[in-house]
Amino acid sequence: MKTRMSDIPRKWLYLGILILALLLPWLPLGGSSNYLLRILTTATLYMVLALGLNIVPGFNGLLDLGYVGFYGIGAYTAGLLTLHYNVSFWLIVPLAALNGAIWGILLGAPTLRLTGDYFAIVTFGFSELVVLVIRNELWLTRGPMGLPGIAPPSVFGHPLTQDWEYFYLIVFLLLVVLFVVTRLEDSRIGRAWYSIREDEIAAQCSGVNLIQYKVTAFAISAAIGGAGGAFYANWFKFIHPDMFKFWESILILCLVVFGGLGSIVGTMLGALALIPLTELLRIVLPQNLFSARYLIYGVVLVLMMRWRPDGILPFVRYQENKARRAQKRLAPAGSGE
Amino acid sequence: MEDLLGMSSLFLQQLVNGLTLGGVYALIAVGYTMVYGVIELINFAHGEIYMLGAFLAYTMVTIFGIPFFAAIPLTIMICACFGILLDFIAYRPLRRAPRLAALITAIGMSIFLQNLALLIWGGQIRSYPRAVLPKAFFQNAFVVGDITMTWLQIFILAVTVVFMFILHLIIHRTQVGTAMRAISQDKVTSALMGISVNRVISFTFAIGSAMGAMAGILVGLYYNAIFPYMGYNAGIKAFAAAVLGGIGSVPGAMLGGGVLGIAEVFGAGYLASEYRDGISYAVMILVILFKPSGLIGKPILEKV
Amino acid sequence: MDPILTVKNVGKSFGGLTALKNVTMEAAKGQIIGIIGPNGAGKTTLFNCLTGLYFPSEGQIFFQEKPIVPQLSLIKSALVSRCAAVFLVLSLFWAPMFWAVLLPRTFFKVELTMLTAFILVMRWLFGRGLKHYQIWAWSVMFVLIGGDVFLALWGLFHLGSLGPFPGTEISLAYLAVPWSVAALLFNGFFFWQLLLKDVRQLFGFRVGPDRVCCFGIARTFQNNRLFLNLSVLDNVKIGSHVRFKAGLITTIFRSKSQRAEEQQIELDCLRMLRFVGLEKRAFDLAGALAYGEQRRLEIARALASNPQVLLLDEPAAGMNPRESSRLVQLIRNIRDKGITVLIIEHDMKVIMNLADVIYVLDHGEMIAEGSPKEIRANPKVIEAYLGGSLAYADA
Repeated sequence: MKTRMSDIPRKWLYLGILILALLLPWLPLGGSSNYLLRILTTATLYMVLALGLNIVPGFNGLLDLGYVGFYGIGAYTAGLLTLHYNVSFWLIVPLAALNGAIWGILLGAPTLRLTGDYFAIVTFGFSELVVLVIRNELWLTRGPMGLPGIAPPSVFGHPLTQDWEYFYLIVFLLLVVLFVVTRLEDSRIGRAWYSIREDEIAAQCSGVNLIQYKVTAFAISAAIGGAGGAFYANWFKFIHPDMFKFWESILILCLVVFGGLGSIVGTMLGALALIPLTELLRIVLPQNLFSARYLIYGVVLVLMMRWRPDGILPFVRYQENKARRAQKRLAPAGSGE
Repeated sequence: MEDLLGMSSLFLQQLVNGLTLGGVYALIAVGYTMVYGVIELINFAHGEIYMLGAFLAYTMVTIFGIPFFAAIPLTIMICACFGILLDFIAYRPLRRAPRLAALITAIGMSIFLQNLALLIWGGQIRSYPRAVLPKAFFQNAFVVGDITMTWLQIFILAVTVVFMFILHLIIHRTQVGTAMRAISQDKVTSALMGISVNRVISFTFAIGSAMGAMAGILVGLYYNAIFPYMGYNAGIKAFAAAVLGGIGSVPGAMLGGGVLGIAEVFGAGYLASEYRDGISYAVMILVILFKPSGLIGKPILEKV
Repeated sequence: MDPILTVKNVGKSFGGLTALKNVTMEAAKGQIIGIIGPNGAGKTTLFNCLTGLYFPSEGQIFFQEKPIVPQLSLIKSALVSRCAAVFLVLSLFWAPMFWAVLLPRTFFKVELTMLTAFILVMRWLFGRGLKHYQIWAWSVMFVLIGGDVFLALWGLFHLGSLGPFPGTEISLAYLAVPWSVAALLFNGFFFWQLLLKDVRQLFGFRVGPDRVCCFGIARTFQNNRLFLNLSVLDNVKIGSHVRFKAGLITTIFRSKSQRAEEQQIELDCLRMLRFVGLEKRAFDLAGALAYGEQRRLEIARALASNPQVLLLDEPAAGMNPRESSRLVQLIRNIRDKGITVLIIEHDMKVIMNLADVIYVLDHGEMIAEGSPKEIRANPKVIEAYLGGSLAYADA
């Protein structure tokens, strides 16, 4: 019987990909290998962010337009902690994630009982307010002057300087996030989320407390965004309010939508496909019009919604494969029951 | 005593400015609210039509040399057609799709149009050269103490009132308007009653876009600054105004626009001016949290 | 026999439309109760009130003496309680400030006493079978109220020695006295209310559908509300949600208890599918099932929460006679498990065969109740149905 890709036990698949990723920096690609590595690092960072966003619209079916707010909060938390208190990177990431989660809870608790459209608008307003605060509260964030000179992270006392070191770091972060997200997804909590996405009223009548689960999802999503922001701050070593505009939220949303709302693998593939595209555009477009690259994302969104609203790895297909794998687990002798 | 007079004239001047701004917001907000009323979709790209109106009028007047008062109706007609086109291409195919898909499409269109404008017209801010505009605009119509009101402001207020009046007539006195109101209450039954739903929706887009374009022209004049991202800013504020008044309700949008314009001018004047834009966001969030049906709107029940 | 479900004078209006008026009924344990009536009579509205989706405009609903819909006067006092709660939160911020500014010498002593009291109260509450959030809520409440009371009394006793507001000439006594009195009154009221009622009731939180499911009432829907993109087994697993309790940490780290729980869920849900006859389709997507199978899946999902009362909303709709008789047998099996069943139906064959008691609704009012035989002979019922389906019902 022919074995399909979706039938391979997840463990081996992920291990294989991990080994591939670890070998990547050492492939002989000539002089531009560092540049490519940096693109891959960016792509992996966006994978982390997209996985975080995926929890809210993908698992819960709520549109979050303000994700960049948490990304920014995480980045500024990391930047300020490093600059003022010289906190170690390994403490900063959980702190940034925690800060993100706190703001996620604060924002989510009153707003998650709203209907989809209104919730989207409120999240959007929130992220705009965050950027406004970052830009204007100079005493806290130095506003438009940005935060330069953020120290790099250190592993056992050795500060990271090489591109491959940062790549390994982001891969590590991705693994942690994947660990959390996959464990949550295939559990009672994950099922409760899916039920909210499919039919809120039926979910309620089956005993799922909507607010509790929505806020939890939102907080975890915000925490992941915060962690991603922390990495960004310590990698790029300079942050500025213009890096956290609304378009970033849309970009990340685009990745999730393209990959398939709710599909973990699809989201990662989406990031891998679309982020290098941005780089291509950077080469093609003249300098002052670089922000027009978001045009592509607008087009992608519209086209996807028109012709493949389920993304490249549709949610339905994903559930089918999951069920088939579960069936095989229960009846390995192939009795067909 | 003089101090009091000074304060009150500042107050009144702010009021005048606020009403002017409010009128513009109301024009844009009405477009949002009408479209939401008939297809329950927040047309994010509406702000881009407003921006397009500003750019088109500017281009016509400066590059093609068309006289200002002729450029206005031309721009409005082009933008109305553009609104119909937008519906036809982006929203009509998704009439039966889930809300999330339509919302994402709207956002996508908005981003696409903004950046398209950026590519076409470039990023620098355009202004009308003084020569092409009627001189009267910049002269003061009347001066009461310290309060001044230019002809331009009167023009804006007058246009706003006239357009609102025409809109009111259309909605309440014509067949199309009645059809619009019917569809916003029950789309399926309206179709069964013989209303051509798609045509009426196109018409709604046309009217909303026309009003948005007019607002764009007016703002381009008033602030004398036209740039591709202006739709983004004004769009959000107008949406906040629509939500404030009660989304789906046209008088609500008018009221909301007025209130928001005044709130913004006063807030910027008396509180912090950097947070000027933040006022609309804050108002929007507060309204959605505490009274989602807005000042005039009615809450909707879901049938189980 | 004690009634398991009691509905007293329930009414529900939507704006100008009255959907239910003065509906009273009782369900005893193990009965099958039929609810019939013409379309638009308010039957589904009644179900929605029973499951907490709608909040009745009048009346009360009790499940085994626990109120699902409490007295409305409680809701009004909720406003006072909410204000008191806000006050309580404010004191959380105010008290430390007060202490730090005004009581430099007794500062740490007071804090230490508070902390000790807090720990003692929590330990005392731990063994009493309360939920975690309740223990925390009670302890915090107790400590805050105690602190406020202490401050109030201290303020009142030391009126003379309070200095002025920092930077002004006004004595702090003008703030301390009203605040202390208000704190005493509000917190006292709040604490007294807390002793009498459940915390949630106190804040006027309505019993929502998820809590109703926890109580033990499950339902199906008139138009199938399945999770179509999920597998059949997942649908039933979600139904079993209330019976288990894996939390965030145990899920992420796959603790032993969580893994054992997941296995238990899987076995239970497969067994439930076998009960309704769908075990062969456990791994198909719910959307791929035939209509009759989908209706059975909804019943399986409802049963997965191990309810004591099952509400079925037109379960036989769209079924052919063979499927209907299978359904009747299934419902009898459910009743034999000890579950009370309430059925809304239009198919008279099903109702007359199954029900012990029938209630008839018309235009939102209860026009008749009784055994199937009595209902069939009732002139009001016949009139409501315009002499239609009753004539065809057979025993």
